[in-house]
This record gives sequence, C-alpha cells and structure tokens, in this order.
Amino acid sequence: MTTATAPRSARPSRPARTLAGPLTLVVFAAITWWAASDEFGIDFDIGGLLSNLTRGADILAEFWPPDLTVLPRTIGPMLETLQMAVIASVIGCAVALPVAFLASRVTTPNTVAYVFDRAILSVVRALPDVLYALVFVAALSIGPLPGILALILFNIAVVAKLLSETVDGVDPGPLEATRAAGANRIQTVRWAVLPQVLPNYVAYSLYAFELNIRASAILGIVGAGGIGNLINETRRFFQYDKLMVVVIEIFLLVIIVEWISIWLRRRLV
Amino acid sequence: MTASDPTAVTGRPSPPGQTTKRIATLLLALVVVGAVLTVDVEIERLIDLPAALAQIFSRMFLDPAPEWSYFGDALSAMLESVQIAWLGTIIGAFLSFPLAFFGAKNITSGLVSNVIRQILNAIRAIPEIIVAVVVFIPMVGLGAYSGTLAIGVHSIGTLGKLSAEVIEGIDSGPVEAARAAGGRPLQIQRWGVLPQVLPEIVAFWLYRFEINIRASAILGAVGAGGVGEALVQSLVYRRFDRAGMLIIVIIVITILIDTASGWMRRRIIEGGDRPSRGDLVEQPERADVELRPFASSGAARMDTDVG
Repeated sequence: MTTATAPRSARPSRPARTLAGPLTLVVFAAITWWAASDEFGIDFDIGGLLSNLTRGADILAEFWPPDLTVLPRTIGPMLETLQMAVIASVIGCAVALPVAFLASRVTTPNTVAYVFDRAILSVVRALPDVLYALVFVAALSIGPLPGILALILFNIAVVAKLLSETVDGVDPGPLEATRAAGANRIQTVRWAVLPQVLPNYVAYSLYAFELNIRASAILGIVGAGGIGNLINETRRFFQYDKLMVVVIEIFLLVIIVEWISIWLRRRLV
Repeated sequence: MTASDPTAVTGRPSPPGQTTKRIATLLLALVVVGAVLTVDVEIERLIDLPAALAQIFSRMFLDPAPEWSYFGDALSAMLESVQIAWLGTIIGAFLSFPLAFFGAKNITSGLVSNVIRQILNAIRAIPEIIVAVVVFIPMVGLGAYSGTLAIGVHSIGTLGKLSAEVIEGIDSGPVEAARAAGGRPLQIQRWGVLPQVLPEIVAFWLYRFEINIRASAILGAVGAGGVGEALVQSLVYRRFDRAGMLIIVIIVITILIDTASGWMRRRIIEGGDRPSRGDLVEQPERADVELRPFASSGAARMDTDVG
C-alpha cells in the first residue's frame, strides 16, 4: 500500500459523501411543512404574527402596573404550592429508590422484573404531570390531593430514571466484595450500591423538588391546588393586573428555590 | 510502627462529624411534618382514594372499553400536539442558537455572557403554560398558534443555556488555528467553533423536542391547542372511555417519538459505523463534556428540564 508510506503532511482523505445528510434535510423540511401547513397542520403563519404584533398590545398593557392588593390572597395558595411540592417530593423520592434498583441490571438480574419495571417507568414518564392532575381531579374532585398524586408519579418517573442510570455505572468492586463475604441480594444493594449512589440520589431528589415547585405552581390551572388556581380565577375575570402579581410570585419562587437547590447540590456531589 | 508514634494509624478512622447532618435531617423532618399536618387533605378522602382510583381506571380502560371509533380523532388531536412541539422547538432552536454564542464566556466578554445567561435563566423560570396565558393568548388568541409560540419562547431558555455550556467546553485549538490563518470573527465561529459544537447542540434540540411533546400535551388545558383540550373536554363531559383512548394514544405516540429521537441522538453523538470524531482527534479532556447530557450518567441530564 502506498498510503502507508505517504508523508504525514498529506491531507486526510475527504469522508465519503453519503445520502444521509441531504435525506435528513428533506425529511426535516417535510415534517416542518406538514406541521405548519394550513391543510394538515396548525396553519402557522409567521408573517401574520409580525404584521399583527400590536394586536394584543392593549391587552398586554393591562398587565401593568401589577395590582398589589391581591397579595394577601396569594399567601395561602402559595403555601399550598410549597406543601404539595414538599409532600410529593418526599413520598415520590422514597418510592423511586426501590423502583430505580429494579430498573438497573446491576441490582436486578431477573429479566422479568427488570423489563417489567422499565416498561412501567416509560409509560409513567410518557404522560405529563398536568394530564395526571386532570385525571385525578376527575376522580377525586378539586383540591391539593390530586395535585400531590400527580406530582408523586412525576417524581417517581424522573428520579427513578436518573438514579437507575447512576446505578448502571457503579463501581463493581464493592459488589464483588459484599458478594464474596456472603451477602444476599438486598444486603449487596444496601452495603455496596447504596453508599455509592447516595450523593446522586440526594442531588436528584433536590432537582425533583425544584421541578415540583414549577409543576405545583401550575397544577392549580386544572383545579389541583396551589397558586395556579389563582391564575385561572384572575384570568377568567380578565384581572390581568392581578394575574401579573401571581406570575411574578411564581417567577421569584422558582428562581429562589433553584438557587438554593443548586447551592446544596454543589455541596453534595 | 510503634505505639509511641503519635501519628501511627492505630485503629479505625474516627467517624466524620455528624452535627451538620443531624441538624439538616431535623430541619427537613420538621418541614415535612409541618407540611403534612397543615395541608388541606381530609383523611376520609385518603381512605376513599384506592377505590376512587380503581373506579376511574376501570371506567377509562375496562368498562366500557376504550372507544375505538374515537381513535382517529384522538390521533389527530395528539398529532396537533406533535406539530406544536416540532414548530415550537424549531423556533426555540433558531432563536437560542445565536444567543448561545453570545452567552458563552469564551466567545464574548464576561459582562455580555453574564447578561445573556441571566436572561436565559429568567426565560427558563417561567413555565410555557404561563407564557401562553400571559403573553400569547392575549396577543394571538386561543389555539395551537399561541401554544407553539409559548413553547418556542420557553425553549430558548434551556436550549440557550445548554448550547452555551457546550460552546464553553470546546477545544481552543481550532479557534486559534482559524485566527492564525487570518479568519474574520464570523469565520472563526464558522470553522473553529461550529464543527465542534453542532452535533451536541443538535442532539439537545432533539431532546428538547421530546420534552416539548409533553409540554404541548398540557397546553390544551388553557386552550392553547393540542391533545390536552380534547382530554379536558372528555373529562368534563364524563366520557371516560374517550379519555382512556386519548391517554393510550398519548402514551404510545410519546414513547414512539422518544425511541426514534433517542436513537437519532445516539447516532449524532456517537456516530454511525463510520469512524467518529473521536477516532480522528484525541480529546481526552472532552470526556466530561461528552458525558454531560446524554451518556449513561444522569447527573447532567438534570440540567435540562425533564418535566
């Protein structure tokens, strides 16, 4: 072969041209056309938007200045949002721990249990929290209870998914050591796996709490308790200046919880 | 080692201090107990809970069975959600892409990147359903159009942040090479930065699309289009058979798209069977960046919204 003796300074050969690139672009364009078209899609018209930018201006103007007289009324729902997030995080993360161990090959060699657990997890993950809340509100009527249940499912899905991936990657050394010392499966998990993944588990739980705050703030829109309830009320009566107060509060709550959570996570991991 | 040596390791190391841990546990326990005791949930409702859940489950999926004649309508409602998510993701990707360059510390000055990052964080903190209610429904009215725009705007936050982090993780070699060859600022970005970051950023777009499908499914709750609207209607009119059908369709379509998109992301990041980037250039220090969003470690997937 001459290439073997070719000088190092020679350019590398161009990668072979394939159809994959252009084909991807064609598929991308086709899906976009399908989604934006009047006939099959949602009739997306960017020109219309730009020429209509001022259309909602008078409504948007009603948001300002925020009407602070609504502030006392927001305290109760705001606390309820926090309560829902705290309770759902604790229950959801506790349930997620065994579920995560069942969803990893490392801790669950039994194929049936493993496949079953993962299938359930991906089904649970496919439905968003607000849809769970809708269904639970229909079953249990309004209030924080359906909201808490929806958040619990959402937590299990998130934490178990992240944690099972961490369990997949644990150092096998301690596993072998405990097994060699005669530990059964549960003892192995307790003494070889859990200590390795505990910091991650706490970090994921904090992260889930952060997501819960965001979620529980909007669950009230479908009647599942918390501050979202006020979004609906003020919106229904076109009290946009009051709605603005609620939005600002949610914004601040989310930002503050995120700061605290990131600070704690940095200390942990 | 003799006993007289004071530094000798004589036995077990002393256990690490427990004080902070105990205080933290106590505080957490107080908060949780406080929340449980004060939350507005009557105990009778908790007792009825299993029966109520079993009943709605049975009315949605078993008796009567999901209404198959409704399948077509359910599917087209879900496809509208997919369309909203797709177009919303494109808007988010398109607008976040330039912002990500301005938000990367190694591309612009510290001040500019800080300001951009704070703006992106602020956008991220407002859920899309609120963006829809507060901005776009008043502006363009009810319907899928508002939902698309809301998802697009919210996506700018996460996509911009994650893309900026990818750009901050690049190897500075190609940038220096492009500069040394006399590249103008834009050419340096095009040939020094873009080829390094594009695969990961495109993978983020796909991942965001998966998340946006879930987001667009709930936008119907405020009248911003998609399958959520149909679900609200069916539940309001107690048509649980239809609700069951809708839920089945949502789950199946979501899982199908997740699977396809996940496969594409893996191909984009790891390459197909052709030699990948990694074979051509040694990049040991990139290992942690590669791990960040997609590989098996979940730690950093956290940086994106799972929800």
